[in-house]
Amino acid sequence: MLPQFDIIQPRSLDEACEALTKYQSAGVVVLAGGTDLLVDMRKPLIPEHLPRCKGCDPRTGTAPRKVNKPPSYLIALSRIPEMSGIAVSEPGEISIGAMTTITDLCQSRIIREKLTALAQGADNLGSPLVRNRGTIGGNICNARPAADTFIPAVALGAKLELRSQRGLRLIPAQDFAVGPGKTVREEDEILTKIIFPVSADRTGSSCIKLANRKALEIAVVSAASLLTLDIKGKISSARIALGAVAPTPILTPKAAAFLSGKDPSDANFLKAGEIAVSECHPISDHRGSLDYRREMVSVLVSRSLAAAFASIIV
Amino acid sequence: MKKIIALNVNEIPYELAVEPNRSLADVLRYDLGLTGTKKGCGIGDCGVCTVLMGGKPVFSCLVLAVEAQDHDILTIEGVAKGPELHPIQKAFVEKGAIQCGFCTPGMVLNALALLNKNADPTEHDIRLALSGSLCRCTGYQKIVEAVKTAADMMKRSGIIEEEAE
Repeated sequence: MLPQFDIIQPRSLDEACEALTKYQSAGVVVLAGGTDLLVDMRKPLIPEHLPRCKGCDPRTGTAPRKVNKPPSYLIALSRIPEMSGIAVSEPGEISIGAMTTITDLCQSRIIREKLTALAQGADNLGSPLVRNRGTIGGNICNARPAADTFIPAVALGAKLELRSQRGLRLIPAQDFAVGPGKTVREEDEILTKIIFPVSADRTGSSCIKLANRKALEIAVVSAASLLTLDIKGKISSARIALGAVAPTPILTPKAAAFLSGKDPSDANFLKAGEIAVSECHPISDHRGSLDYRREMVSVLVSRSLAAAFASIIV
Repeated sequence: MKKIIALNVNEIPYELAVEPNRSLADVLRYDLGLTGTKKGCGIGDCGVCTVLMGGKPVFSCLVLAVEAQDHDILTIEGVAKGPELHPIQKAFVEKGAIQCGFCTPGMVLNALALLNKNADPTEHDIRLALSGSLCRCTGYQKIVEAVKTAADMMKRSGIIEEEAE
């Protein structure tokens, strides 16, 4: 059973921001797709089957994700048309409404072509039923260290647009999460869209998730890479993001810097993978041990770089 | 406070007063008596509560009834046409894809959503489409075979339906 609450279903973003401010003191939570929030709010039927609640060890960084005090109000964003959809907002920019479903990302041709890593991250999220309801905004705001669309958003250099009655601000995706489930989003702010720079020519990206099963699983490690080549075919820039190996999604700047100016060769990708290991801080849990995760960072980083390179259409 | 919502379930319009914290699964089962939709894990893992919302499979345990307003809902009760079973249901019976039956409504609806979009699915397509539904009896093989058989039956009889949107 879900705890008692009242629901507000605004028709516009202005209304939503107003309601969010108005009900702040009473306890309010924003409802996107509900595939995480409603799970968290539901009293666990069999608590021991929910390791993220009962068995969680604060030391491991996987803090319990139960909402401590049930909110009095839910603000549902599902009826605000401007909050979903994928648009080429400006030349060189793709803007994705926060309420765009994961299925929509999977099925979008422009995302698959221009933001390949995001499409691949979306493919790996939950199951088809979760993807049909879950949203990119919800996935990012939940800020799980393994969030399947958050990792590629960090690799692809996305910016997050947060809106409140006080105004608008843009936060780089890599600065958004500050801990498992914790973000810099203020309580009166709504994530409205995720803005991706559209890659220049000779650019490719890829996201690889390692999990214990193919569906409905949280990553042991995930790696997303963005690779841009110069005219001579050397790497002009690289960005690598990792999931499930730190309290938040992280970038590996040393591995990326190593690649700059180098040939896009398997040997260099392997070396970058080794460097990335020194930049992650994994833990041991029931999904995988610390040592296994470190090994897999090396493997997944080099594979995702190779896949990003292979996806470049010259 | 209860909210009045309009729901279109299996092509029948309903007007209902529901508490905001009630799931679509609860409203379907306890208010409308449509108990073919099962409740299992309640957290979006098992798939027994699957219904089609606007033609797409969703976990009805993770959809608030008030959020289902304005959407067409199809439950397992709306799949057969009168006394005549849907080809997917026939195929499940023929192929022994039903054992205890608890996952069957969800499996059939996930298969239906797939076949409405893709009349000629590969085994990979079928397994992917069913990946949100757990079955503890069959080992899945017979379910996959049943969906393949259903696709063939539907193609032969020319009743690949329009996408229910």
